Amino acid sequence: MAEKLGVYICGGCDIGANLDVDALAEFAQNGKHSAVVKVSKANPVLCSPEGRAAIEADIAEHELDGVVCCACSPRVKWDVFGFGKTQVERVNLREHCVWSFQDDKKMPGQMEVIAKDYINMGISKLTKSNVPDPELPETVKTILVMGGGFTGLNAAKNAAGLGYDVVLVEKADNLGGKAVNFRKSFPLAYPYDQTQETGLEALIAEVTGNAKIKVFTGTTVKTIEGAPGNYSLTLSSGDTMEIGSVVLATGWVPGDAHYLAPLGYGKIKDVVTTAEFETMASHDGVKRPSDGKAPQTVCFICDPGKFLEGVSYEAGAVCEPVEDLPEETKAEGEEGEEEEDSFVYPDKESAKHLAYSSELTSLVALKQANYVADDGGVAYILYDHMMVPGINEQYYKAAQDNPAVMLSKADVVEVKENGGSVVVVAKNTLLGDSVEIVADMVVLPTAMVPTTAADPTINLVYRQGPAFPDLELFDGFADSNYVCFPYETRRTGVYAAGAVRQPMGLGLAREDAAGAVLKAVQCIESANHGVAVHPRSGDLSYPVFNFMRCTQCKRCTEECPFGALDDDEKGTPKPNPSRCRRCGTCMGACPERVISFDNYNIDQIGSAIKEVKVPDTLEEGGPRIIVLACENDAYPALDMAAMRGKGWSPYVRFLPVRCLGSVNAIWVADAMSKGVDGVMMLGCKYGDDYQCHFMKGSELCSRRKENIAESLGRLGVEPERVEQYELSIDEYDKVPSMIADFVDNITNNFGPNPFKGY
Amino acid sequence: MSNNVRVQPDLKFVKELQAVGGESLKKCYQCATCSVVCPLSPADSPYPRKEMVWAQWGLKDRLVNDIDIWLCHNCGTCSDLCPRGAKPGDLLAALRNMAYRQLAPLGFIGKLMSNFGGVLMLALVPAVIYLAIWVAQAAHFGTAFPLFAPGEGHGVWEPVANGKVIYGGLFPGDYFIDPIFGAAFAFMLVCFYLGVQKLLKGLKASPAVYDLTGAEKPGMLAAFIDTIKHEVLQHSQFNDCGEDEEDKKRAFGHKMVMYAFIILMVVTGVVATGHWFGAWFLEHVMGLKDPFSKFIALLGSTPMPLHSVVKVAANVGAVMLIYGLMQLTKRRQGLDPKKQGSNFYDWYLLYVIWAIALTGVGAEIFRLVNIKYLAYPTYFLHLVAVFMLLAYLPWSKLGHLVYRIVALSYAKTIGRIPMGAAK
Repeated sequence: MAEKLGVYICGGCDIGANLDVDALAEFAQNGKHSAVVKVSKANPVLCSPEGRAAIEADIAEHELDGVVCCACSPRVKWDVFGFGKTQVERVNLREHCVWSFQDDKKMPGQMEVIAKDYINMGISKLTKSNVPDPELPETVKTILVMGGGFTGLNAAKNAAGLGYDVVLVEKADNLGGKAVNFRKSFPLAYPYDQTQETGLEALIAEVTGNAKIKVFTGTTVKTIEGAPGNYSLTLSSGDTMEIGSVVLATGWVPGDAHYLAPLGYGKIKDVVTTAEFETMASHDGVKRPSDGKAPQTVCFICDPGKFLEGVSYEAGAVCEPVEDLPEETKAEGEEGEEEEDSFVYPDKESAKHLAYSSELTSLVALKQANYVADDGGVAYILYDHMMVPGINEQYYKAAQDNPAVMLSKADVVEVKENGGSVVVVAKNTLLGDSVEIVADMVVLPTAMVPTTAADPTINLVYRQGPAFPDLELFDGFADSNYVCFPYETRRTGVYAAGAVRQPMGLGLAREDAAGAVLKAVQCIESANHGVAVHPRSGDLSYPVFNFMRCTQCKRCTEECPFGALDDDEKGTPKPNPSRCRRCGTCMGACPERVISFDNYNIDQIGSAIKEVKVPDTLEEGGPRIIVLACENDAYPALDMAAMRGKGWSPYVRFLPVRCLGSVNAIWVADAMSKGVDGVMMLGCKYGDDYQCHFMKGSELCSRRKENIAESLGRLGVEPERVEQYELSIDEYDKVPSMIADFVDNITNNFGPNPFKGY
Repeated sequence: MSNNVRVQPDLKFVKELQAVGGESLKKCYQCATCSVVCPLSPADSPYPRKEMVWAQWGLKDRLVNDIDIWLCHNCGTCSDLCPRGAKPGDLLAALRNMAYRQLAPLGFIGKLMSNFGGVLMLALVPAVIYLAIWVAQAAHFGTAFPLFAPGEGHGVWEPVANGKVIYGGLFPGDYFIDPIFGAAFAFMLVCFYLGVQKLLKGLKASPAVYDLTGAEKPGMLAAFIDTIKHEVLQHSQFNDCGEDEEDKKRAFGHKMVMYAFIILMVVTGVVATGHWFGAWFLEHVMGLKDPFSKFIALLGSTPMPLHSVVKVAANVGAVMLIYGLMQLTKRRQGLDPKKQGSNFYDWYLLYVIWAIALTGVGAEIFRLVNIKYLAYPTYFLHLVAVFMLLAYLPWSKLGHLVYRIVALSYAKTIGRIPMGAAK
């Protein structure tokens, strides 16, 4: 509880030109919070060295434990307005009051009203805030690397290089993974125009020879129990050990080739997949399955996606399974299903994985076509699009230069057998509208299906289950939001790298291994400092439970997007701070309001809402709208709108929230009971392409909102007074109309809140 | 099913094309920038994009019979703007070189004409012939460098000690020059005739990859006259080929060289007519002595005085030739090899014409200043150079003189390009 506050009003950036800052300082000093406000001053430029020095001097002189800086957005100058242990509350007068101010001719003088509301809200928030004091657990500085393929080996090497002990677990009897069967890799080094040796043997030797790396082959992870920094690992061999965090590099398996049946796979012997072709090329040389002869001409078809257009992407629905296929992809099975509780992990593989792998398909075709050319044959590549992202363009240029590699865009319509050869019929080619190409062999792409599509793989002993949740959104790839947070998964402490995360070649896998190891290190080193790893990196706060009032309803344990909370037999939540990302979803979920953060809690936000002065009638001072804005997307969008000169109704008051998932229904009730006419909740996009930093916040909020609306209805308050909007960070231009439409709708169609004036 | 065209890739042909000037053809990634920027390419199935992918797949039958290679006038804009340095202009030039090599009969000449060593071998033919004449004449006159005074009648020279350098004296035209060149010319014409037949047969056999319905389809004669009128005499295509200053200079230089050749051809024609019709037929055979016959005979009498209209025309032609050659040579030397290459065919043609021009002018000057030791060897070289150009014309780059005119005319008859007036 901050009890000795200093309040500082900045006069810079148009604030002083529009508001009487001295009067506001006077208002803070002698207003309703005069008991806690020890100092209140205006300063022409608060962020100047003089302004900062003045605040520091006051902190020393008056032993202030809290500072309210009424200036610009908290998203800027956070480095200037930081005063060590003294808590700081930023009141955003610049963006929320001055820059975005839109005058209402009928009700002049609103800017001062807004400023006073925000100052009171800021003071109130600070008085309800404490400095968090987390426990600092001892952490185990061992990193578990799951998967001994190219990615896993690199990860192990990197982690050991950073001084951490490594446990490397590989399911197969030998290290190397899929790369064992690679004849060559695409370029891994400058000038990126030649295929290279994978360097796998040297890498394996380096890893097995490293004293910091303990290798277990022929072994799987049975369970991982505990929390980041202090996991206990049990292997299939029965060995147990302590680990700090996990790099998941379990890679991929070749997709179900049944999906390739329309292109002759399974029916024509000399139609093979790139995976089969690569294995042949790396061992005894490429031979035609029909007669064992080396093919003189090989046709690579890059894009079955085009061919599969219009077919259902539902798993298994593409075509009838073909009978006599080589058994290779059905290697899961043993694990998962035999768990005691009947946990079912549905297989997420579908024909989509072929399309997802198309980034590799072009490169693989170029590489293998060059094998054919090197072996004295001629290769034809039929593509829909040559997909060679980034630096791989260099390789495309060089690989294409081989006279024996012939390329054309083409829509393949049929693959058939003709007198010991395979005939590919294609339309819209560069060689003519309808052509036939005869080849000794046809090679089809391989879908890279992540190991996590069919198996939980990580086998966590978490209340929410052993696997990553919601992987169907990513068709089984161990991902959570790769654009913003690569390597991260829905389980803090487990970092995915390589093809289990996204189809990729060895070059990217190597980078991935380095990135994921750094996250794993960050995780261990955050856990022992008591701070969040990501995305609120360094946040000291953590959810505190008042178990006295807990009714064991399990909402928090079920709704936590990260499975941070386990529970006991009775259902009492068991927090794991090092799994937690501090989003506050549990706080928003709790009907008994027993969960809080020291510096972000139910009472604090509720009190701030109550600080908004609501006029008794609309005629007297206009309506009042509370806007709860997600601080990750909506709040920056608001700032940007204000910076770009957009304005909006003077009757809205913004309150940042960590995530809409942290919004507790009581806050809406508080607002309504205070006579506020409407509550807007601005959150990020949700659904399949969600943008939420905490995966589920917006979505949960929209579900909870239904309940809120229902309760309001029972009280005789129109449910339309509470609305949720999706706003992505770049949609600042939509902000003014979004607000205007809501305010107009409330004032014109619903009028004042019936509770107004009570 | 039967509508599907079976593609027959030919790796050997790809490598052949690379060897004759299309070495960058594999770099093409089919963006079609070349076809878009080409100032001449028709909108329907434009070249040279499609030729690039055909070349990459070694589709020989399509490429060797492709009429579009003759529509290209090789300004190099496509190669300049190619994002991959695939040099489509060079590929089309290479395909034309391949045509020079393979259209006319006697393939071994084509093969020899494609490289420096081969050309040297071929140069031995005229060199041996004229050297033999020279040696025989030297034996006859008692000196390899005789001087002459006019004898009785046209073209009759008497060797004298302090006479003049007279080429007709050492290499008498009636017996050595005219029959040999006449034979070479006839040989060239026959070869061209066969080459043109082969060209037309190939063009007719090639499947049309473009839509020709609705296009005007004139007869061959009309198309031929139209081509001579527009593309040849006015350089109508050439003028449109490329928009740079350099391209304009190239078109002008080419026009100069062409008109110079026309003038020199007329001069040669006049001299031949004068000699064979005037002096030999009218005066010698018919025994006519009237002023008209005398005038005709005089036109064919060499060496001519410098004020002769014919001589003036010849000298003007020579100056134009050298000026045009300078323009073309300068441009070719200035080409960025990263953008546009020059192959043996290009250089050979320039050098052989340079040789003709320089030895021709040199022979004239050395004759006028009467330095026999320079004059006769220069004239000898001139004879060899002219023989090279003339006798081996169908297999050299100058073969385009005939093949391009035929192809352009044929292209008009099938509607691939419009008649000149329609442009």
